[in-house]
Amino acid sequence: MTAAATRAGAALRPGLPPLLACLGLLACWQALAHLLTTGGMPDAVATFRELPAILGDQEALGDILDSLRRMALGFAIAVALSVPLGLAMGRSRLVASLVNPLLMVSYPVPKAALMPIIMLWLGVGDASKLLVIVLGASLPVIYHAYQGARAVEEKMIWSARAMGMSGASRLLRIVLPAALPEILVGCRTGIVLSLITMVTSEMIARQTGAGNILFNALDMAQYETVYAMILVIGALGIVLDVAFERARAALVGWSDEPDAIGVTAA
Amino acid sequence: MIRAWRSDALVGILPLAALVALWWGIVAAGLAPRALLPSPVAVFGRTLASVADPAFLLHAWATLSRLFAGFLVALVLGVGLGLAGATNRFVGGVLRPVVRILAPVPKIALYPAFVLSLGFGDASKIVLVVADALFPILLATYQGAARVEPKLVWSALAAGTSRRAAVWTVVLPATLPSILTGSRIGLVVACIVVFLAEMITSTDGLGYLLVRAARSFQTVEMFVPLIAISALGLALNGALAALRRRLLAGFPNED
Amino acid sequence: MAQAALIDPSHPPEQSTAPRPAAVEIAGVTKTFQRRTGGTHLALAPIDLAVADGEFVSILGPSGCGKSTLLYIVGGFVPPSTGAVTVGGRPVTGPGPDRGPVFQEFALFPWKTVLGNVAYGPRQAGASKADAETKARGLLARVGLSAYETFYPKELSGGMKQRVAIARTLAYDPAILLMDEPFGALDAHTRLKLQNDLLALWERDRKTVLFVTHAVDEAVYLSDRIVVMSRQPGRIKEIVPVDLPRPRHRDELLLDARYQRYVIDIERLIEDPPEEAGA
Ligand SMILES: Nc1ncnc2c1ncn2[C@@H]1O[C@H](COP(=O)(O)OP(=O)(O)OP(=O)(O)O)[C@@H](O)[C@H]1O
Ligand SMILES: [Mg+2]
Repeated sequence: MTAAATRAGAALRPGLPPLLACLGLLACWQALAHLLTTGGMPDAVATFRELPAILGDQEALGDILDSLRRMALGFAIAVALSVPLGLAMGRSRLVASLVNPLLMVSYPVPKAALMPIIMLWLGVGDASKLLVIVLGASLPVIYHAYQGARAVEEKMIWSARAMGMSGASRLLRIVLPAALPEILVGCRTGIVLSLITMVTSEMIARQTGAGNILFNALDMAQYETVYAMILVIGALGIVLDVAFERARAALVGWSDEPDAIGVTAA
Repeated sequence: MIRAWRSDALVGILPLAALVALWWGIVAAGLAPRALLPSPVAVFGRTLASVADPAFLLHAWATLSRLFAGFLVALVLGVGLGLAGATNRFVGGVLRPVVRILAPVPKIALYPAFVLSLGFGDASKIVLVVADALFPILLATYQGAARVEPKLVWSALAAGTSRRAAVWTVVLPATLPSILTGSRIGLVVACIVVFLAEMITSTDGLGYLLVRAARSFQTVEMFVPLIAISALGLALNGALAALRRRLLAGFPNED
Repeated sequence: MAQAALIDPSHPPEQSTAPRPAAVEIAGVTKTFQRRTGGTHLALAPIDLAVADGEFVSILGPSGCGKSTLLYIVGGFVPPSTGAVTVGGRPVTGPGPDRGPVFQEFALFPWKTVLGNVAYGPRQAGASKADAETKARGLLARVGLSAYETFYPKELSGGMKQRVAIARTLAYDPAILLMDEPFGALDAHTRLKLQNDLLALWERDRKTVLFVTHAVDEAVYLSDRIVVMSRQPGRIKEIVPVDLPRPRHRDELLLDARYQRYVIDIERLIEDPPEEAGA
């Protein structure tokens, strides 16, 4: 009873400091907005007042939800493609040495920057944006699945072999579960990356979506809207990350390191 | 060992070569209109020509200088904050939740705010690079420093080093592998984000070149900055790997 | 047991050594660890121990009885929960160059060469680079590693690392050596050699040594007194003065009936069947 209560308390407690941090950051913003009287920066209160206007606007809300749908779909496709590829790389040196150079070459290229070219081929519609999100979210998932599969103990594979498991079922039943913690670390980065790629691709394509609203507002000098959209997108990033972390902890909490925070890349 | 590495590298060239060959084949067979997919000969030829073009080099230099400025600030801030957070209870207590909140925020979304408060020039782009490259470096430093074997620190304290000095003489060098790993991610992120910022608002830089080419539908010109940023990233990564080999000569598990 | 003549339980251990001033005074030291799952764990029950200046004291006991913890408290790396340690009459509040630890895990700086590791202490004490390296070279010669000064720790064997660790600690000339199973990870041959080296060193410099070990023969061979600890909670079960003449030579000792008796008696003392079975 007491042990359970303590554990429940421990599970709740990590939520409090980030909440305080949130309030602290908002307070900093408020103070900064009043110190910088250049007029470009509305304060936190004014921005929050703007939120209902955006989220209440059917069209804007529809756009944002549309963006999120694309993002979720792109992320799902990325995971479905990247995990098998990463695992295969981890278990086969040939696959790894074939794929690694491609990854090395594509790491420094902003995937959203491919938008102009992909739009030439696939048009300005959903397909282009989806493809870019898939590309953007894939790299960390591939990388971590690769590292996870590489770290699987050789002896586990040997005993599976001795039991007569085939290559494919070894990958599915031994390597995948053993690499799962590492894969989920990659997914956590991947999901934030898919959000980033989503925003960036919309900002380049400028048709619909959250990124489009944000940068249109910038062009039209609607500063409250700019900041409100930043708030919305930032909150999305945080919520996705926290939700994913909760799910991850529930799935592979056994492998946890204290204070492990995923490294997020743009 | 070295031979194995060489054959790995050789195998690695294959898929790249195959990709280019496929590309060339598609173009040569007339499967794609030139306006949509230029021939690889034209693209790489133009890229090589660009490298000798002073105007192009100025653009590349604009990108590189922003990238470096942002990366260096992020490195100093990230290492400093990471070390402070791992070695000082109070700093750590404040830093952890703040980082937890800020790390998953898409920094590119903050760019309009940077533009509004710092203008369209270099400053807002550099700040964006800092904001993006900071967290991988900070987190890697923090996690590495928090995991430093306490007995290394104790050995130094027993030799008469003060607690404060031990942060520099022991925790920092012991964290170096993590710092370099974080820097590697930070550098890639810096490449990506500086390019994006230049695509959004700029009059120079590689990102601007892409947008300019896209506006006038010059497909060949669109590939050049992309190849350039990829090559730049590879070169920086190679330089960092060389630095790593030098700096981490004594560390185990470093090949 | 009648044969335990050398170990006289009725003999209060505090009075059993030379009347030299206490270098280390451990008074009522306890250590309670906070468990992550809640609750506490008493690792050390009150410990009282005085170590004389220049004395070689070994600590023996089953795994988990708190030997390392006790050493860390004396070193000032870990604070005691209650009680106090004084060194040379002054209370311990943290680590200091008067107490030199040698850890079982070596804890060498991986980014420094052998020479750099050994020169670290003198450098911290304010010596110039040249002076520090001269001193380090002298110590490396003493531990027989002159040829390895440009090597990194990862390029050394376990025994070599251990000798570098000892040289690194000796380099800042601590009055008290705190050695935690320093030969635990070594092969039998290297171990014998390092024991002899340590003994020769001690007979020359007469440092105060607190020496944690699992090996009874090693403790008898080296020590003036042996502290035998028991577990749950960790406490001192017995303090055995080793009354064997010095300088000691292993081959003579092995044939010495008194030496054999010490080893047998102390092994009996440590044997702790019910507790060990639970571990
Ligand atoms: N940091 C810690 N947190 C919680 N408990 C600890 C910690 N360090 C040690 N303990 C506990 O204190 C007790 C004594 O540990 P210590 O390492 O001092 O034993 P030891 O006698 O050195 O054992 P060994 O011979 O195996 O090295 C053990 O029961 C251990 O579980
Ligand atoms: Mg121990």
